[in-house]
Amino acid sequence: MNAPPTFESFLLFEGEKKITIEKDTKVPNAALFTVNKEDHTLGNMITTQLLKDPQVLFAGYKNPHPLEHKFVVRIQTTSDYSPQEAFTNAITDLISEISLLEERFKESVKERAEGEI
Amino acid sequence: MDRIEEIRSRVALHEYGIDNVHTTDFPGNYAGYDDSWSQEKFEKNFRIDVKKLDGDELEFDMIGIDAAIANAFRRILLVEVPTMAIEKVFMYNNTSIIQDEVLAHRLGLIPIRADPRLFEYRAEGDMEGTAEDTIEFQLKVKCSRNKEAKEATAPDEMYKDHKVTTKYLKWVPVGNQSEIFTEGDIKPVHDDILIAKLRPGQEMDITMHCVKGIGKDHAKFSPVATASYRLLPEIILTEPIEGERAERLQTLFSPGVIQLENRKGKKRAKVVHARRDMCSREVFRHDDLKECVKLNRVRDHFIFSVESTGILPPDVLVCEAAKVLMAKTKAFLTELQDVEIGGRKDA
Repeated sequence: MNAPPTFESFLLFEGEKKITIEKDTKVPNAALFTVNKEDHTLGNMITTQLLKDPQVLFAGYKNPHPLEHKFVVRIQTTSDYSPQEAFTNAITDLISEISLLEERFKESVKERAEGEI
Repeated sequence: MDRIEEIRSRVALHEYGIDNVHTTDFPGNYAGYDDSWSQEKFEKNFRIDVKKLDGDELEFDMIGIDAAIANAFRRILLVEVPTMAIEKVFMYNNTSIIQDEVLAHRLGLIPIRADPRLFEYRAEGDMEGTAEDTIEFQLKVKCSRNKEAKEATAPDEMYKDHKVTTKYLKWVPVGNQSEIFTEGDIKPVHDDILIAKLRPGQEMDITMHCVKGIGKDHAKFSPVATASYRLLPEIILTEPIEGERAERLQTLFSPGVIQLENRKGKKRAKVVHARRDMCSREVFRHDDLKECVKLNRVRDHFIFSVESTGILPPDVLVCEAAKVLMAKTKAFLTELQDVEIGGRKDA
């Protein structure tokens, strides 16, 4: 059989980088971020978070081919901001969202457990 | 609720379609709204409310969050939270009618109760395994005739050990595992899963290695039976509905959604439990009722339901999913610091 091994979807190949950035030379303040071994889980989450940034003019992602385990995010920002900054800020915001989510979830479970006693 | 607010916060269910499906509250989309993300705003609006936590089932509400994050959680619960499962099967003897490869596959799907957080991933190509990354099980069964039951015709009485269930799986400690775990810590979640049936003279002698893995590799590693979310339904009656129409309206929704109240000797319909509705839209087939009802779903109110396979409790699974997501995003931050930037002309 010629099915590719399943671990290819989450293990980086030898020498493969997790993230590569390519500057868009035709448009100012635009870049393409290629993220390897990740899928819609993070692609969609990061793109939506980028869209919430007023200084981001464009944010979108694609999965170039379903058998290639990667996604590409294109970001264009205003002139006093850079795509890298936007990406970093989006991720920092996501981190605080997730940590609050975990914290509130634990509180809620604890409250419930105490309520039952 | 004004029109704009409704477009922003509700998904509208109509007779022939669904409107305002996508999140649109992004900066620049609506004049007069500040939609940029801020920590305070998020902290103020975000809520989690556990509704049901009962054994392997969990239902909770996640309110004030974007679908992208809720979906990331669901996807991570399904395929990226690790568990232990049988991965290597060494068959020394198998004279049963079930083929080796089918049997190996069946064994792999058995949920194994062992805390995956206490184990490491096994290195690729490692066939032996160590105490840190491997759990070993042994299955040794031989079926025989029950000599005491000569007249019996039922297989259960005629044969001994003819049903091979997970009860027969014996945990074999590797290295110092017997010091860390006790007999009950590591075993299949259920002890009555039928693996194979034998007849007198048939036997099995199998050793198995369990390793840590994730659902992306194989569905047997998935820690959940199901993990899904739905949006909170909202039913609005735009005018009073009474008498026969009220009774009919009640039958058009899931049980318990509409209650009939006595108002001056007449029955009047009232929405009491919109949450219980399954959003069938049956009401739109009744011409006299469809103009009086508005069906919506609240776009940022997710009703999550997580059903564990029994390996870890569902609330622990959600915390683990949060940790996995956190680890991924944190890895991005460090990765971004030492990334080189290349240019491209055709981009």
